[in-house]
Amino acid sequence: MKKLLVIIKREYWNRLRTKSFIITTLLGPFIIVSSAVVPGLLFSMKTGGASKVVVVDETGRLYEAVRESLLRRGDGGGNDAKRAPDSTAAPPSDREAQMRKAGEALEAHYEVTQVATGGRTLEEVKADLNGRGVRGELDVYLVIPKDILEQNGKVEYHARNLSDVITKLQVQDRLNRAIIEQRMRDANIDNARVRELNRQAGMSEFKIKEGAEERGDGGSSFGLAMFVGIFIYMGILMYGQVILSAVVEEKTTRVSEVLFSSVRPFHLMMGKLVGVSLVAITQYAVWAVLFGVFTLYGVGMMAASGMDVALPRMPLSFFIYALLFFVVGFLMYATIYVLVGSMVTTEKEAGQMIMPLIFLSVISIYMAFPVIRNPNSTFAFWVSIAPFFSPITMLVRIVTETPPFWQIALSLGVGLASVVLFVWAAARIYRVGMLMYGKSASIPEVLRWIRQT
Amino acid sequence: MSEEVATLALERVSKKFDDFVAVDELSLEVHAGRIFGLIGPNGAGKTTTIRMIVNILAPDSGSIKLFGERMSERLQDRIGYLPEERGLYKKMRVGEQLRYFGELKGLSAREADAQLDRWLARLKLSEWKTHKTDELSKGMQQKIQFIATVMHSPDLLILDEVFSGLDPVNAELLKDVLLELKAERRTIIFSTHMMSQAEQLCDDICLINRSRKVLEGSLREVKSSFGRRAVALRAEGAEGALQDARLVSSVKPYGDYVEALLADGADAQELLHRLVETGARVTRFEQVEPSLHDIFLQKVGESA
Repeated sequence: MKKLLVIIKREYWNRLRTKSFIITTLLGPFIIVSSAVVPGLLFSMKTGGASKVVVVDETGRLYEAVRESLLRRGDGGGNDAKRAPDSTAAPPSDREAQMRKAGEALEAHYEVTQVATGGRTLEEVKADLNGRGVRGELDVYLVIPKDILEQNGKVEYHARNLSDVITKLQVQDRLNRAIIEQRMRDANIDNARVRELNRQAGMSEFKIKEGAEERGDGGSSFGLAMFVGIFIYMGILMYGQVILSAVVEEKTTRVSEVLFSSVRPFHLMMGKLVGVSLVAITQYAVWAVLFGVFTLYGVGMMAASGMDVALPRMPLSFFIYALLFFVVGFLMYATIYVLVGSMVTTEKEAGQMIMPLIFLSVISIYMAFPVIRNPNSTFAFWVSIAPFFSPITMLVRIVTETPPFWQIALSLGVGLASVVLFVWAAARIYRVGMLMYGKSASIPEVLRWIRQT
Repeated sequence: MSEEVATLALERVSKKFDDFVAVDELSLEVHAGRIFGLIGPNGAGKTTTIRMIVNILAPDSGSIKLFGERMSERLQDRIGYLPEERGLYKKMRVGEQLRYFGELKGLSAREADAQLDRWLARLKLSEWKTHKTDELSKGMQQKIQFIATVMHSPDLLILDEVFSGLDPVNAELLKDVLLELKAERRTIIFSTHMMSQAEQLCDDICLINRSRKVLEGSLREVKSSFGRRAVALRAEGAEGALQDARLVSSVKPYGDYVEALLADGADAQELLHRLVETGARVTRFEQVEPSLHDIFLQKVGESA
């Protein structure tokens, strides 16, 4: 027992002190947050000054409205009108909307000029404008056809760079608004009135529950559950790999033979499992604290700037369950990693043998989606009981529609039982496998080792 | 031999791997304060035997008794094992690594620190204590491994090819240490293919081949039981006599002399007579003990 503690201590401290652990632990949250935000920011960055837009207005009536619409600042167009007061926190529904917002945030500037046809044919004008475009004198030119106000004509958008989607969408938005408003004016309809009547009806969410009604949080609790699930999954993959290389290292450097003459293989294996699990838990605890601070700080900032933010409402029990399922799930997968590590001779081989296990964990992420839609189906029940899947699927069920306690307990029980089973089998494979050099063990061989006493 | 309990006693120990018999009914005794050579060709079953002694493998049948007791985890702490394939954590610092191995042998962290400092100084490695292991040369790592084996003052040391990778200076240093340990009445089991080393160090030997014991006893007994069957000879024109199969079974050249192994039933006197008869000029004629090397070759050849 004393020796087991010595092993755990070494596995724990030696990993905790490494530079890579300290760096990933402290910077992890920053990296995750920035990897979500930075690409969007970079994409919406407009470098190189204002876009020069030239308008060829064949209707002869739209230029002023278009120009005004394009130059108007801070008000992005149609998108704003749709926004109901109650749903400010709702995430943009699709990528396009997100890009538009990103573009607005940076307020693209335009220089708008008009070109009169002056008796030339449209082809001649276009040829001239194309030439100017090639010389870099303009970025975009628009051809507004005569019939745009009465019929379904299409505006031609010519640009030097069609990949600049943000500019394109913004121009399209603002052009649309100008044209629609012009049509309304032509039909004698009051623009302001239309905009007012057009605002959307809000929807408040409530979760069905016994007792007091509980206000929904716009899906953010589900987001948190998925986040936690994916974190568990990441932890399993990351630290599974850590355990795997530790086992393979001891095998290839033959340290195992020296160690086996001092301690029981079972203690060595358990020391490794427990030690590395503690490292993982330490890292996650630090991350949880950092994220907590971020969230509180971030929400405080947003609240101060007048935004209405819905924080996920999670009962404490969720976090306790999350921790339990993390530990059970981690041990379940990690034991298999140990087992594979003791079977192979190089890490490369280990990578191949571990593939099925990685597939299992990926599948359990996918399983989460049908479970969300129908958390009380028979399918959801079995999937959330089955080992390997339960750590993620059961958590999703707990968030969406908390199942009866016995189901959670059953899921944990099955998980624990399989951990015990795997540890038992792995211990038998480990003590033989760690002393087999030269070639990787085959599956029949391994099964024989398990049966041996 | 004596009334005292053997440090190690194996009784009819067998171990099979699937259908392959690695060790077959092996019995042997090792006594306190002696250096015991476990020798044999590759694949003879030495490593399996050692692994059973250090409790890494369990025998299928037979008993292994250490200090008169059945092997147990507690007894493991009284053994030091240096495997043939070295095993050190490459990225760990020398001092921390040794402390870890010491603690796994039941030392407290403080005892381990004291011992490792003493041993690092003894083997002239003190300045490497804070270096990472993979910064050390192979020979130095070998000495570190040796410290890991002896730092908990085991009563029984099992050394598998302990001199491999050491230069003559370090080999000599290690040999001195082994003799000191022997003087402290610690028991050493020494496994090697290098017969000259076994010959220099061992008190007793056991030769195993193809999973069975073929020879056992004190080095002196073993040698004398082989009789003085070899002749060291330096002579001109000796070819004729040496080619006589009735007199000489084999001839091996050694620098400026040859060693002739006498054929069964032949006598050294007869050979000398024959040499003189055939007109050879003899400048050296000496009956020598067979070397362990020759005994090894002969015994392994016989049982093949």
